[in-house]
Amino acid sequence: MSTSVTATIRERVKSIETMPSIPTIFLPLLDLLNLPPERVKLDEVVKLVSYDNTIAAQCLRAASSPLFGLAKSPESIKGAVIALGLRKVETILLTCCLGNAFPTKNWPLDPIVFWRHSLGCAMVCRKFSEKLEAGDGDRAYMAGLLHDLGFMVNCIAFPKEFAAAAAHASQKQIPLDEAELTTMGFTHCESGRALAERWHLADDMIQVIAHHHAPEQGESAQSLIALVHLSDLLCRMRGMGYGYYERRRVDLMGDPAWGILLKEYQNLAGVDLALFSFELDEAVGEVFELVSTIFGAAKTRD
Amino acid sequence: MTTHQMVSATPFSSPSAAAIDPVFRQIRDLVYKVCGIFQLEEKLYLMADACGRRMKQLGIRTPREYWDLLTAHSSREAEIRQLLNEVTIGETCLFRSQPQLDALRKVILPELVEDKNKQVIKRLRIWSAGCSTGEEPYTLAMNMLEESEHLLKGWTIEILATDLNDRSVETAKVGIYGDYALRSTSDYFRRKYFTPAGEKKLEVRPEVKKLITFSRLNLQDDSRMLFMKGMDLIFCCNVLIYFDGPSKSKVIDHYYSNLNFGGYFFLGTSESLLKLNDKFHLVHFPGTIAYWKPSLKSGKL
Repeated sequence: MSTSVTATIRERVKSIETMPSIPTIFLPLLDLLNLPPERVKLDEVVKLVSYDNTIAAQCLRAASSPLFGLAKSPESIKGAVIALGLRKVETILLTCCLGNAFPTKNWPLDPIVFWRHSLGCAMVCRKFSEKLEAGDGDRAYMAGLLHDLGFMVNCIAFPKEFAAAAAHASQKQIPLDEAELTTMGFTHCESGRALAERWHLADDMIQVIAHHHAPEQGESAQSLIALVHLSDLLCRMRGMGYGYYERRRVDLMGDPAWGILLKEYQNLAGVDLALFSFELDEAVGEVFELVSTIFGAAKTRD
Repeated sequence: MTTHQMVSATPFSSPSAAAIDPVFRQIRDLVYKVCGIFQLEEKLYLMADACGRRMKQLGIRTPREYWDLLTAHSSREAEIRQLLNEVTIGETCLFRSQPQLDALRKVILPELVEDKNKQVIKRLRIWSAGCSTGEEPYTLAMNMLEESEHLLKGWTIEILATDLNDRSVETAKVGIYGDYALRSTSDYFRRKYFTPAGEKKLEVRPEVKKLITFSRLNLQDDSRMLFMKGMDLIFCCNVLIYFDGPSKSKVIDHYYSNLNFGGYFFLGTSESLLKLNDKFHLVHFPGTIAYWKPSLKSGKL
């Protein structure tokens, strides 16, 4: 990508953080997420969640979704934080915050479709990480949730150009990143990276946002990028894509990302990919429900 | 009333997953492990219905007792197969899996046509293995005819449809279907490829039948399986579930060698090969999976 394109992206991205609809707690939350778990204090998280009534209510509703594992909605924020654990609460908070952060009027993408994909990918990343016994499922969830941050940037900072790319993709039934490259000369990976760097997201998240379409190009956190890459493809093949038919065959086991993950997690060889796909179908309804919980309320903030 | 409607009136017929005894989830997982058929949570009540019918036939009172029977060494295999008969009852219909048909027409055919365009003989060979009463091969034939005016112009299309059961093959040849079998067939296809055949029945038109050769075949007959070469696509939905592990592996190996390089093998929508063959690549298309015999040029053999 040329220097002038990078400069244009950075210039336009600057305008995003001054938008009034970014919830006040959003940037402090991102700081909190960068801390090691032992330095995060329960009271600080409770305070953050409670700061904005809309977000607090959304968090409580989201916490009772089967995706987060609580059988019934907790009665208080503190109760939710204790029952779910700090890291899980942070991911819920991040989910709700992102839903509120971007005005979605006149988006070239249907915001519901976008959120279904992002939350779907977050869910798949967590489940995949559990299958691999890879450890931090919540980190994987966060990576899945943020991977397409660049689409939001494009919707707001490059609305006309991105509208043309989205129309081209659905008309030709090709992947959206291919269409972006053809019509705009850059993809959401570059614009997402520009915003992620401005927001000082953690390095592994920046890597995921920048390289989830080509994990082998990642400078670090390659296995997390590979996990997100495969989860993203799985989502798009199992009903949580971008709202149009992608004419393509996806060979996950033949993908370089599979090889990257296999090097680190040998139990990947034992994963029954067909069964995993069928199991994901069961969670699609839960994802859709969670999106309407969060996005329904987010709409009023536009 | 259809078979499916009749069987719903059992004590286990509630579509609400919450009301379902957790034992049925265990049975669902066991069925997957043994046969590779996965029953989605939202359709778990169908599994519960099927268990209910078997329990009634066997005089068993509780799902837990039925679980014991399914897991007892001596009775396991036979009873699971009886149960599968109940589970898959009435499932067959024309146009059963739209995602498979979309994958076929939108992704696979353009790819196969491009690969084979340099060949002198432009021929596409499809095998519907375990075709039952003909719903699958006729669906495939109609879809191929749709493409014969565009993508497959000038191509010869051959569909081979086989089944173990003589009576099924004879019924298939007749090609007359009622409302239940046609429940997923659009008006467009009904008008274009069928003619009325008595009250509420439709018969497949001769130009569709012409594409298909029906015959009886036992998939375990090795000598005949060796001659089924040169296939581009094989469809074998809900058939392998009736084979034990070693027989299933053998049939799958046959399918692999029956397929051309770059060919595809489709199972039922929620059916998997259970990792019984590592030469096939499991590939995804929107809404469906298939098993791919990598093409020579892909270098992924």
